Amino acid sequence: MWELFVRSLDASIVLAIAALGELIGQRSGVLNVGIEGVMLFGATFGFIVAQTTGDYTTGFIAAIAIGAIIGLMHGVFSITLGVDQVVSGMGIWILGFGLTTYIGNPYTGPLGMARIDRIGGLSPFFYLALALIFLTWFVLNKTSLGLKIRSVGENPEVAEVSGVSVNRIRYLCVIVSGMLMGLAGGVYGLSYNPVWNYNFLMGWGFIALALVFFSMWNPFIMFGGAVLFGALWQLALSPEFILPGVMSRYLWRMVPFVITIVVLVLMSTRWFRTHWGAAKPEALGVPYKKEG
Amino acid sequence: MKIGEHELKLVKRVDLPWWNAMIISIISVIVALILFSLVFVHSGVNPLTGFKEIFQFAFLNRNGLPLTINRSIFIFLCTCAFIIPYRAGLWNIGMAGQLYAGALGAFGVMYLFGAKGDPNLYIAPGIGIPLMMIGAMFAGGAIGGIAGFLRGRFNVNEIVTTMMLNSIGFWFISYMVKEGGPFMNPVGRSESFDLPLSVRAPLVFGAPFTMIVALLLAILLYWVFAKTRIGYKIKSYGLNPLAAKYSGINPQVIPVLVFVLGGMIAGLAAYHYFGAMPGVFKIARNYAEFGDLSFYGIICGLIAQGNPLAAIPVSLLFGGLTNGGRFAQGKLQMGFGVDYALLGVMMITMVVLQFFYRYKIVWIKPEKEISDVGIIR
Amino acid sequence: MPTENQTKEKTVLEARGITKRFPGCCANEQINFAIKQGEVHAILGENGAGKTTLMNILFGLYQPDEGELFFNGEKVDFKSPLDAIEKGIGMVHQKRKLVQAHSVIENIMLGHPDSGKILNFKRVKKEVSELCEQYGFKLDLDAKVWQLSEGQKQSVEIIKALYRGAKVLILDEPTSALSPPETRNLLDSIMSMVESGLAVVPFITHKLPIVLEISHHVTVLRNGRVTAKFATAGATEKSLAKSMVGREVIIKLDKVEVERGKPVLEVNNLSAYNEKDHLALSGVSFTIHEGEIFGIAGVSGNGQEELADVLAGLRKAASGTILLDGNDITHDSTLERWRKGVGYVPAERNEVGTICDYSLIENVAMNYYFEEEYVPRGIINYKSLRQLTESLIAEYNVATPGPDVKAKALSGGNLQKLILARVLSKKPRLIIVNLPTQGLDVGAIEFVQNKLLQAKKDKAAILLISGEIEEALSLSDWVAPIYEGKFMDIIPWTDAERDNVGAMMAGMKPKVESL
Repeated sequence: MWELFVRSLDASIVLAIAALGELIGQRSGVLNVGIEGVMLFGATFGFIVAQTTGDYTTGFIAAIAIGAIIGLMHGVFSITLGVDQVVSGMGIWILGFGLTTYIGNPYTGPLGMARIDRIGGLSPFFYLALALIFLTWFVLNKTSLGLKIRSVGENPEVAEVSGVSVNRIRYLCVIVSGMLMGLAGGVYGLSYNPVWNYNFLMGWGFIALALVFFSMWNPFIMFGGAVLFGALWQLALSPEFILPGVMSRYLWRMVPFVITIVVLVLMSTRWFRTHWGAAKPEALGVPYKKEG
Repeated sequence: MKIGEHELKLVKRVDLPWWNAMIISIISVIVALILFSLVFVHSGVNPLTGFKEIFQFAFLNRNGLPLTINRSIFIFLCTCAFIIPYRAGLWNIGMAGQLYAGALGAFGVMYLFGAKGDPNLYIAPGIGIPLMMIGAMFAGGAIGGIAGFLRGRFNVNEIVTTMMLNSIGFWFISYMVKEGGPFMNPVGRSESFDLPLSVRAPLVFGAPFTMIVALLLAILLYWVFAKTRIGYKIKSYGLNPLAAKYSGINPQVIPVLVFVLGGMIAGLAAYHYFGAMPGVFKIARNYAEFGDLSFYGIICGLIAQGNPLAAIPVSLLFGGLTNGGRFAQGKLQMGFGVDYALLGVMMITMVVLQFFYRYKIVWIKPEKEISDVGIIR
Repeated sequence: MPTENQTKEKTVLEARGITKRFPGCCANEQINFAIKQGEVHAILGENGAGKTTLMNILFGLYQPDEGELFFNGEKVDFKSPLDAIEKGIGMVHQKRKLVQAHSVIENIMLGHPDSGKILNFKRVKKEVSELCEQYGFKLDLDAKVWQLSEGQKQSVEIIKALYRGAKVLILDEPTSALSPPETRNLLDSIMSMVESGLAVVPFITHKLPIVLEISHHVTVLRNGRVTAKFATAGATEKSLAKSMVGREVIIKLDKVEVERGKPVLEVNNLSAYNEKDHLALSGVSFTIHEGEIFGIAGVSGNGQEELADVLAGLRKAASGTILLDGNDITHDSTLERWRKGVGYVPAERNEVGTICDYSLIENVAMNYYFEEEYVPRGIINYKSLRQLTESLIAEYNVATPGPDVKAKALSGGNLQKLILARVLSKKPRLIIVNLPTQGLDVGAIEFVQNKLLQAKKDKAAILLISGEIEEALSLSDWVAPIYEGKFMDIIPWTDAERDNVGAMMAGMKPKVESL
């Protein structure tokens, strides 16, 4: 049972880090529906580099670096060129999906390195994720930079006339957001599921996206959601732990996705909507063009 | 930017005439192909050789051309499944899920006829084939309708929903055709039972009759968007949901409508691939590859700018590229996934080129500038 | 009238020969003025006179093509608003520049260099409270901005500018969204700012009495040029208006007397929620007859938008009934209401009233796509729609190259004419117009108002929602001041007085006589 718990926490960590990245971007008003793509890039490059060099650290650096580059790319498209953010995000997802399939293919199979040591029985990334979540919350709510980020996401015009450079803040957030997504991909490909296969994330990026909508843009609620979802995912993989023999294992695999949809619908009920409406960054998804 | 005496300037477009849109689309395809050359270079293949192999196999080869046409029909139908919600400002990235549902719908009809145990069962094609198509469209439309309903009624993000439904569909097919699932091939190869010989689709000029269906569909959709009330409502909702609501268009109905229609067409695509294509006639073990292929519908829809007629040549090109890409991959001994890489490169080029739908580059000649100022004064 | 001796201070902000050209409209041509410490220097001009351009130049949003700005005698070159802010220019826009979801104090601290890397709420709150006290503003610093009234929001912006160290405070249409008592408070605050040595520069379109009351100097703009400068002492409303418009203006409209017909709209105890789930409209009842204009006067955000939406079917009624010609339409859809003769002209011309990427023909179709005559059996007859559009363009003087032009190419006034043409051409029984003349120039205002009076003569019932007391009084047969979702009273126009209506818009109880 402890094993199952640790495993499900491992899954939660990947989701939480990715969703945290998305959350930071969204708080600055930039929606990136291509998390899946950035994570695929992170996972694949992290995997390849780690396997080639035999060193985990280099692998994670590669994952973060490629995430930053893809985040920057999303920034150029959606901030500077003013392309529809959904279009750009879709582009990044399909680019990641297509390109990593080709690039990673020769590396198909297990990583073949010793597993990363656990600390206190848990993955070291658990502590990292907790620290990052707390840090994000602190920066967003307690610092001048965070106030700028939130204002840019709510109303960029106001931020601009208050002397804040909207584009600079958005670029910063999009790049940090990409780095976190890349890192999440790296954790997935190097720690959670170190067996490369094409498209081996199977929709986790989109689940992370759903988690951000679910979180009402609060990092702590988001983490709670990630923990619950990780447990759900792990149970769906090994249903024999709770309900042995009740359903085909394939049907169990559908359950997390069904629940994601159900939760999103519940979130849209009247009660949630009134709270959600207040929390949603007003300028989310709207390109900003300076006047004059 | 200044080049010599001339000045290069970005100007916001007020209007986008269709020929400009076409030129941008063609340029973006060419740019993407040039970028894609890097993949050949990376594999140590001369890009010209690579493209020659691709195009020769796709469009000039006796074996390749029918495969290209079959793929193109499939991609075209997926494009339409994308385009209809796209015109309403909504993103259908759930063609894969709708496709899986459509496949199960079509084979479900045959299952009810008792075709599972008996490959030689006779069902009148005039009844069996339309029923399969209806089954596929019904199932695809139902899955699409879920996303549309949730969007219209609860404002749930349709990108997330359709993506979740893709995964659900993926596992549901696994359940149905593997490990003793209801549709499993009795011979037991983790794929569905074979379609009875009697309901295998007739060929027209060597291609499945679905080609005719697809062409008619293109014309019908074009007409619907250009001339009809329903098309007007969909476009209004897509351009400005608030104004559409103000003018009396029901904002809960339109998302359902477009997603049901899109899902139905995706269901049709499933029928085409699993029920009408020579050499398949079952839900094959690699069904997920066709789910992946359906994402080309997004790119084709964007390149065609939501125009169903423009989607025909675009689908044909992409059908050829993916088909030829697979072939070249084998012949030139490149790694797996050449067609996937093409998908990615194509998409990202398309995104960048979106910029030019809103801006244009103009040359300003110095003489003209002076005369302009003269007019202002 | 303030006393003269304050105005002998030194010049803080001076413009010399400011020129800005745009292809088309709203340029500035050789603008000169000097603003002194401790004075109120009003800048007066109609819409399109170049006020906005000038304001944006002073605030660093635009850079002038020619001319120079001087601040405290030193030449300055504002590349961005930040440069202007750092020099000591504070700007209070007409369109509120506040983050609605944030608290008052967060808005004030945003972008402030001394708010600390880690926000020091305690210190800033103390300092801001002192400023508030000094100038007579009452603000709850922890309240979220969306909870505040328009007047309070404006106070937040003023305080924000002052806390940022503004020496010159530019106010864009400072009283346009305020109720009369709020206006009073603002004027008092301005006086105390001036006393402490600040320069205040209000940009004003047509509230001439206010200009006379508070300013020491006036600079008048017309067609992008300065046409007059005077010390306010000795000026009159008439002389100001004359130099602003360039001719004598008659502001009064003639009442159109129409015989009162059958009741068209009967509203009983109607309530509705807003997006934030607060009861925005609570239990209003009224009746409008044929040939009547029923004016609702109120500061925006008091439930009038919700009322219009509920009547048009865009928002659900929480309780109450709506009768149109005696038939209950409370639960009808928007489309059914259009068919039954409800016509709605929304306040948001670009966001709701039109689809900017559609041609004018397609925009006209927004009210005709459900008519069998133009769309027989679901197939749109573009030929007859084109004829209709052309005739509407001609009848309403919509300035456009043709009916195929996209709506986004039209100016606000022409867009409003198009919407009005489209809605009125259906001969609706009930016409709901929300802020029909907001942001239009004098010519267009006159045109729109005359078309409404014409519709009144044609026996339509008209619900007019207006933020301008004058407009509501001069057009309406009945005036209902609205405050926090309730009508304070319903007054026949013959009994309606400007001050009384204004007081009720701000929530004062009606005087006993008028009951």
